[in-house]
Parts: sequence; C-alpha cells; structure tokens
Amino acid sequence: MPIPDLVPSQWETFDSTQTPPPFGHALKRYMPLDEDYVNLNPGSWGTLPLPVLFAATRLAYEIERIPDKLHWVKFQPLLNKARSSIARLVGAATDEVVFVPNATHALNTVLRNFEWREGDLLIGATTMYDTVANTILYLADRAEQQRPGAHFIEYNFPLSHAEIIAIFRSKLRQFKRQHSDRHFTDVPPLSRGYVEDPAKKQNKIVVVIDSISATPGVLMPWRDMVRICREEGVWSVVDAAHSIGQEPDINLGDIGPDFWITDCHKWLYAKRGCAVLYVPYRNHHVIKSSLPTGHEYVSPQRGEVKRDRTTFAKLHTWTGTADHTSFVTIPDALAFREWLGGEKVINDYCHKLALEGGRRLAIILGTRLMDETGELTLNMVIAVPHLCRTSQLMIIVLQTNVELPLPIEHAPGEIYSAERVDAINVYLREALLHKWKAYAAHYFHAGAWWCRCSVQVFNEMSDFEYLGEAINVVCREIREKILLERVSPNFPEPYPALAYL
Amino acid sequence: MPMPKLTPSEGETYDASQKPPPFGHAMKQYFALDEDYVNLNNGSYGTPPLPVLSAAMRLGYEIERIPDKFHRLTYRPILVKSRESVAKLIGADPDEVVLVPNATHALNTVLRNFEWREGDLLIGASTTYGAVANTIRYLADRSEQPRPDALFIEFNFPLTHAEILDRFRTRLREIKQERANTPFSDVPPLSPGHRTGDKGNKIVAIIDSIVSNPGALFPWQEMVCVCREEGVWSVIDAAHSIGQEVDINLSESKPDFWLSNCHKWLYAKRGCAVLYVPKRNQYIIKSSIPTSHEYVSPGSEEAKVKGTNFVMQHEWTGTADMAPYLSVLDALSFRNWLGGEKAINDYCHKLALDGGKRLAEVMKTRVMDETGELTVNMSDVLLPLPVEKTPGEVYSREQLVKINLFLREKLLNEWNAYAAHYFHAGAWWCRCSAQVFNEVSDFEYLGKAFNAICQEIRDTIL
Repeated sequence: MPIPDLVPSQWETFDSTQTPPPFGHALKRYMPLDEDYVNLNPGSWGTLPLPVLFAATRLAYEIERIPDKLHWVKFQPLLNKARSSIARLVGAATDEVVFVPNATHALNTVLRNFEWREGDLLIGATTMYDTVANTILYLADRAEQQRPGAHFIEYNFPLSHAEIIAIFRSKLRQFKRQHSDRHFTDVPPLSRGYVEDPAKKQNKIVVVIDSISATPGVLMPWRDMVRICREEGVWSVVDAAHSIGQEPDINLGDIGPDFWITDCHKWLYAKRGCAVLYVPYRNHHVIKSSLPTGHEYVSPQRGEVKRDRTTFAKLHTWTGTADHTSFVTIPDALAFREWLGGEKVINDYCHKLALEGGRRLAIILGTRLMDETGELTLNMVIAVPHLCRTSQLMIIVLQTNVELPLPIEHAPGEIYSAERVDAINVYLREALLHKWKAYAAHYFHAGAWWCRCSVQVFNEMSDFEYLGEAINVVCREIREKILLERVSPNFPEPYPALAYL
Repeated sequence: MPMPKLTPSEGETYDASQKPPPFGHAMKQYFALDEDYVNLNNGSYGTPPLPVLSAAMRLGYEIERIPDKFHRLTYRPILVKSRESVAKLIGADPDEVVLVPNATHALNTVLRNFEWREGDLLIGASTTYGAVANTIRYLADRSEQPRPDALFIEFNFPLTHAEILDRFRTRLREIKQERANTPFSDVPPLSPGHRTGDKGNKIVAIIDSIVSNPGALFPWQEMVCVCREEGVWSVIDAAHSIGQEVDINLSESKPDFWLSNCHKWLYAKRGCAVLYVPKRNQYIIKSSIPTSHEYVSPGSEEAKVKGTNFVMQHEWTGTADMAPYLSVLDALSFRNWLGGEKAINDYCHKLALDGGKRLAEVMKTRVMDETGELTVNMSDVLLPLPVEKTPGEVYSREQLVKINLFLREKLLNEWNAYAAHYFHAGAWWCRCSAQVFNEVSDFEYLGKAFNAICQEIRDTIL
C-alpha cells in the first residue's frame, strides 16, 4: 500500500521568502497547541512547530516504505547533517556531538562511563534536577566498593551570581580539605598536573553543574564554575538541559567544559526525544561505551579495531532500534527558527517578555519575583565585563520564577508537611490544567511556593495576566480547602517587596 | 492552532466487524511497504501496520495540544493498559512487566544492574547478538576490579535442540570445574542453596530464545531449567519472541529475566520492548536506565515500603516520544482482527517452512534447519557461494565485508527485495522472515535475485 499522500496543511509548511507573522499570539497558528490553552510551560516538554512535526511524521512514513533502505543507506548522512548543524550552533566539532533521547540519558552516559574508585567524589547540588540527583545517589549507593562518595552543595535562592560562585569554590576546597588523606590526582586534561599514564592517577572529583537549574529556573554562572573546576582539577559535567535555544552565544570550544548536555526538544523546537551530548576530543577516552552498548563498541581486549577520533560518534550512531526521527529533523527545527529571525531575535523577544510578564504576574499575585536582583544580574554582566568570557555576553533567561500567594514557612514543617506539599502540587496541577486550561510549573522551595513561567514566541503579556487570575483563585481554594484558613477579603495580601517592582 | 485534519487514508483504518482479507499479498494494503518491494526481512526492524502507524501519528499530534496534560495526567493509565496487555500475552503478572525502548536497552538494564564481583562469570554465546555480546565485553573490559569475566559458548549450526542443550549443560559444568576454587554461591532464588545477601560469586548466562543469525529457535525453556539446576542466573534475550513464539508462559518457564521487542513481530511502532523481571528478582534491578524520579535508595524508609520500585522507576525515564509504548494496544487490536496470535503464526510458520524449501530449490542449495526444530517464522537458506572448511580458506576478511555490502546494495537497489544475509561457520546464508503479507512467490523472486547476485560475486569478488 503506498504510504498516505501527506500533503502539509496550511500551517504545517512555511514560505521562507515571506515574512513570518509577528511574535505573540499570531504565531500560535504554527504551533500544535490548543487554541485556548495558555501554555507558559514550554520549559518542561517543549513545543515543536507544526512544520517540524509534519517533517517528522512524513519521515516516519517514508521509513516504512523500505525499512532496510533507510536504516542501512539513508540514515547515516541525515544524522551527520543534523549533528553538524548542532555542532556549529555550540562551537564544537561535529564528531564531538552525538544525539541521545534526553538529557537524563546523556547525563547517565557520562556518569556511568566513569570508572569509579573508592575515594572518588561525585558532587551535585540541592537545586539539580532530581533524576540527576538520583543518578548520583544510585552510583554512590552501590552495595560494595568500588563507588564514589556523593555530596550535594546547597543553594537557597535568591542568590546572586557572585554568591553562587563563592559558595561553589569554597565547597570544592572544603571537600578536598575534608578528604586530605586522598590524592585527587586524576584531574581533567586541561588542569594543572594532568598526566596521561593511568597508573599515576588515584582519585578524582566529578561535579555536575546546572547551566540553568530546573526549579527554580535560574541561570547559574556555569561558565565561571567550569573555569573554577579547571583551576581546582575537578571534572565538570554541565547539565545544560535548558540551554540550547535559550542561552545565546554558547561556544563550547572557548568555555571548555569536560562534558556538556542539553535537550533540543525543550527550547530548540525539536521533536521530543532529542538531546545532545558533547564530549571534547580530549575526553573521548572516558566514554568507553554508549548507553546501551551498541554494535560499534571497541573492546580493548580484542585489539582488531582501535579507537580514533570518530569512535565516540560511531558508538552513538545506533544504540538499538528506536524512532530516530527526532534526531534527523533537527535541521527542520533550525530552519524554522531561522525563518523567525534566528536565535538572537527569538531570545530577545522571549527574554523581554519573561522579565515584564514576571513582573506583571507578581503584581497581580501580590507577591514577588525570585530574581529580585534580575536588574542587578544583567547590569552586573554589562557593568563588569571582565568577569565574563566575552564583553558582549548577555545572559538571557526565558523563564521567570514568581512567588505564589500562599503562606511562607520559616522552619521546615511549620506549615507544610510532605503530604501537604504533595496535595497542593496535585491540586495546582489539576485545577490549572482542567479548570483553567493554563499551565506553568509550580514547586516548593525554601519554605515558599513558586511558579516558573517559561516564555515562547507565541506568548504575550495577556497570558501572564490570565495565569495570574487563575493562580489567585486556585490559591484561595488551596488556603481554604487544604490549609483550612479563612481567607481575608483583601487576599492576596500585598508584600513589601513590591517596592522593587 | 486546531490540529490538522488527520483523516485516515485507505489502509490506515479497518472495520473490525468485517472479515480481513486473506493472508498473503492481499494483506499488503494494510502495510506501508512499497507495492513492488519484496520484504522478507521483517525480523530486523519489524513492519508496523498502517492502522498502528496512523494511530501513533494521530496520538503524536494529540499530545502536542496540551503537552503537560498528556505527560502528567493522561499518559499513565494508557501505559498501564499497554503493560497489562503485554503481560497477559506472556503469562506474567503486570507488575513484573515494564516497557523500554528496545531489547538492547532492556538487556543493558539487567546486566548493568548486577553488582559484579571479582570472579563472577558472564556467559554469552557465539551466536549472541552483536550489541549484546559487546555489552558483555564492555562489562568485562572494566580496567580494574570488580568486573566479571566474559565467556562465549560456541554454537555452529546446524544443530539439533538436543545437541544445543547438551553442549550448554556440558560447557557450564566445565566452566565451573575449571574454576573449582571459586565459590559460586550467589545463586538465583529458585536454585538450591539460595541465600539472600550471599557474598559469593555468581554466573549469569545470556540465552537467546530465537537467535538473530541464524534465525533459529533455541530450546530456551530447557536451558532455563539447566540454569536453575546449575545455580546460574538466566537472562533470556527473546528479542524475536513476542508475536512470533506462541504460548509463552513465563510464570511456568520461570526465567530469571526475559526481554523482547514489541516492534519486531508484534506490530508495535518502533521503539517498544518489554522487560520482564519476576518479583523474586526485582531487588536486583536497583535503577532503570537512565535513573529516574522514582529511584529509591536502598536502606531508606521508602525502600522498606517500595523495595526497588521496579514498575514506577520505569514509568518515566526521561522525556521521549511515548507513542511507541502506547501503540501496543492498537497493534494487538489489529492482530486480533486478523484472527489472533495462533492464526497469524500458523500462517507465517508454514510459509517460513514452505518458502524456505522453495528458495533452496531455486538456488539449488539447502535449508539450514534439517529437523524443523529450529524454525519459527524465519528460515535460513544457504546461498549459492563456496563453503570453506577452515577460516580464511576461501574468504579473506576484506572479502567478507565486501560481499555483505555487495549483497545489500544489489538487493535493495537493483532487485527491490531484501532478506538478512550473513556468514556463519564457513558458509553464506540468508535469513527470510515470513509475515502475513508474504507468499511463496516472494521467496521465488528472492531466489532469482540471489542467483544473479551470487554469480556476480563469484565473477568479481572471488
């Protein structure tokens, strides 16, 4: 049976010679979202444009015409093209970039490839994504040696970049002091004291750093933290799940992380199930196997095939049968972004709306932004360019964290037990999705409730206003039904922090 | 934006109250294959029917309408249904069954969860699938202890089931005798002498239910029994089994671990496999791959209630396209409409036997399976190329690579047909998969193609 004749409907295709519609609700026609759904959460699952979804769908049918042909013949060149386009975007060589289904998978590939020794340290943060934290725990939980020791650096927001950097550096040094009986001589290739001979290496320290943490959704000074790692002889694994398509001007060749990971399906308009694992050539030897292990694994014991600079990419070409249309349609995602004006234009719009929308939302809710120093952070970057790698580095975030109009506790458990936190999260989720047809991520952090709004090119200020209305009502219901308070007629109570706004 | 109007086209939908067309070429209307393409290689990547594809595509669009709703609310109950229907098919409890992207992934989940000790043995076979053999090697290749030693039992076909079983049992015992000083006391729960938390060594064996090259059925249930008797952990790579082997009852055969690809023979969309871990062994699977939100640290309060949280850990292992897992339900509906597992496999099995025989006639060679024991829905037939009795006698390494490439290119580009082809024990073979859309004439056409191509090979490469 011939495959269905897939003719794109009007908004599943675009004429790249024509000007695109303006940013805002006019762009919703190119998105598969429900017309009346207010999506302020592309940060979680991403939203891909209809033309990309169409390209992936068409490719999926195309594969089925002669499955063997695609897998043996066509697949590899398409994959290489997709890898090249990503490599260009992040300042890497094509063979330093491979695709995996998602950031957690990429992170697991790196951490599970390290050969852990007794005495090694594996360091995360309290604000890291919990599957990453769990991966660290799992490795440390091994019943017998060999296994690393796990530590989590604590960050309680709000914090400035300078504060984060200070905490980070001092914690790293503290860990080394605490374990002064160990020899952390297994340092990464760019660090002082690096030697190639494995016999001379004893213990290592590996740190997982968020570029943009998940909840709260804040930009970390990760480039500085990578530099500090290098100075301290510590391996840096950057969980940049949110970075590609949100953070501009990433040049990994310059910044020099040891490993870097990002989700293309969050902000880059790729189909779900596409993430990038970047490993610079100097560290390829660490990644002995893909996860799962595939046909191209090179066993040192067998000796017939030797590893070279293409091995890392070859390992990851095929790691088992799966739907690879998400990898291969990356060029379609990038073409659409180009048509909209390119990375800078997209991010300028989204960043501005994130800041303004967040402020507006905080006013409606009578609360505050987490990033009260948002002005300060941007200014700090501009005013003190010597702290940044390039003087024109504008750290732009497309997410904003706004406090919810719910009581704040000053000691853990004062108001919110674990069950209450769960109950409130469930209530928020169901009310927002079912009743209000709107969504933003919500979470409990350092005694207070927050929502994280992410902004895309199809959002406008009115989306924040609608969400604000929804949250006010839902939080009132939560106070009455779960916290069993009588809610005052002046709800929400205005916070003094409004002065900042 | 309102979803594009996804009206199913012809072949993408069927009336369950009407009779299906007869098996054979009439069935091709429900598959996306090119009309004139002769596909005798269902075994590699599977062939999802158009109704399954179409449903998955529609679901893909549906998910995008409100992604948060689908992933946080809608997804889970449908996944549970998928798992339940697969569990029913293989005689397992639903809470012993999870879905993962593919068999290699499932295999890696098991082998990488074992905590290896110095002295442990990890045993595969010469016929083990490449990526699986590589996984075994990777684990043994760890530069320092602890790591298992890797061994591969050799099976050169043709072999009868009795010969396979005998060789397997004999080798296991030899291997243990060769290491008489190692206490292999870490035996699986159903073996004599099992003690929880044993700190001795273990032997883990990976056994194919149906091998890839050749596409031969192993007496895996009997081999599971041998493992149990010998105190060896059995990991069954049944990648080809579900939807091809009928009457699988894991509660009876009791392997320690079992995994299969739903996208090979069960008509699911590519990227769906099942991992079966009986409750007695779930304590071994500490983490999904990758580690998920539901990981439980051993010794924690949560662990006392949830154990290793096997099922919940595998509900969500990172953002991915969930459509393949959910396509199982559409796949099973379609198979039911065709007449169910027995009807489908009766047809395919008979065709594999008849087609294989006919192919051997056309090529003037022979079928590998002399006893009929080895054939389910795949038939291996000797290609008309020289057979060598010692390695290198006829074929250099380069020639082997060249011939494989030549076969593939000619078949796909010139003849518009395909079956898997491989070199085994000195001879060249093809492996033909019989599906509901195949007929004997497909095998005849393939024979014609192989005759011409092999002549070219004899003239140019050899």
